[in-house]
Amino acid sequence: MSESTFMGVPRDQIDWSPRIDYDKCNYCMECVEFCPHQVFEVHEEEEQKFVVKNPNNCVVFCRACGKTCGVDAIDFPNKADTTKHIKEIRKEMGENE
Amino acid sequence: MNKSYSVLPCNGLDKCAGCVSKEVALLLTEETDSKIICPVFYRVADAKYNKLLQETPLLVIDGCATRCASKLAAEKNLKITQKINISEEAKAAGLTLSDSLRIGDTEKKLAENLVKKLIEKERTRTENESSEATESEATESEATESETTDHVTTKKEAYEIYKKDKFVFRLPKKEGFYFNENDVWAYVTGRKARIGVTDYAQKSLSDIMFFTPPAIGAEIEQFEEAGNIESGKAVFEIISPVSGRITAINESLLEAPELINQNPYEEGWIAELELTDFESDKELLHSFEGYFQVMKRKVDEFHV
Ligand code: SF4
Ligand code: SF4
Repeated sequence: MSESTFMGVPRDQIDWSPRIDYDKCNYCMECVEFCPHQVFEVHEEEEQKFVVKNPNNCVVFCRACGKTCGVDAIDFPNKADTTKHIKEIRKEMGENE
Repeated sequence: MNKSYSVLPCNGLDKCAGCVSKEVALLLTEETDSKIICPVFYRVADAKYNKLLQETPLLVIDGCATRCASKLAAEKNLKITQKINISEEAKAAGLTLSDSLRIGDTEKKLAENLVKKLIEKERTRTENESSEATESEATESEATESETTDHVTTKKEAYEIYKKDKFVFRLPKKEGFYFNENDVWAYVTGRKARIGVTDYAQKSLSDIMFFTPPAIGAEIEQFEEAGNIESGKAVFEIISPVSGRITAINESLLEAPELINQNPYEEGWIAELELTDFESDKELLHSFEGYFQVMKRKVDEFHV
């Protein structure tokens, strides 16, 4: 999936996706229904009814599903750290050219 | 006399938030002259409500993030004057709605507070409207007189175009325009910037019905949310390409969010900021050439 990039950086080198606190989650499934990018996968039969299946489908810096969660069970990586990380990789890539 | 709405609640019967939406609607009819539009009946036979909808401002009450009531309003091309979302309001108030479908004390209180707020909002809205009517000249000049405004007015030739089927995606070529990959632009002049969404964002949402502006005075970091826009299809978070302090918002979008569909680079701009660290922001922004490639890729993938 090398075609998927963000600011020229391969998407799989950027760690950005929702983190679910399953202790808080009440499985209302709002987040799953909300996201249009096939980030989540539903496991109807299992105790943990859904997972973050495709973290790299998540739009870097999007936090939209977090707002749908009534119990604040969704968290995201630190934005400033992520920004820094992306800049560093870009720099390395520039140097290697 | 009490101000009134036509109220379109989601009335979702299998979720607590939906049941609260009904309670809010009921309270409104009791305390004002508002009338309820039954979403189920409206879907199959809208004629019954058309007159009401023409005469009174529309309030949409969504229960949860699925936003059935908003979607119904979009489907029927209604102009929404006011909108609330019960789950969001509950969250903002620090409440957890119960699982029960009969509303309890917490839910009742929430509904009562929301109704108070709504009545207040409608009162100030109509007051503003009438004062606007008398001062319309003054506000008009205020709206156009903003420091970066004049420079942004771009001519037709200033756009590059990418066509896909019957869709045309424009992108301004003008120097000073920067873009992030979240489909938001910034037009930078000196220490100020104006931001807005791109044609790609606007077209993939289709008819935009609602604009939630960022707060004036708010300090926003790069890639932080600066308000959102909403169509029948989805909510789009406006992820700011630049860091800075919000100095102005495009007030005309509050009344006419469809301006974003008309031209998101000109009359459909979102907000203005006083920049704090543009040199650093720039490292993660595209200029015209870079984003044009990104946009083409997105457009090609979108129709798959
Ligand atoms: S943050 Fe946005 S893209 Fe990512 S999972 Fe949530 S809604 Fe989907
Ligand atoms: S919205 Fe929150 S509570 Fe509901 S399923 Fe998602 S994480 Fe769980």
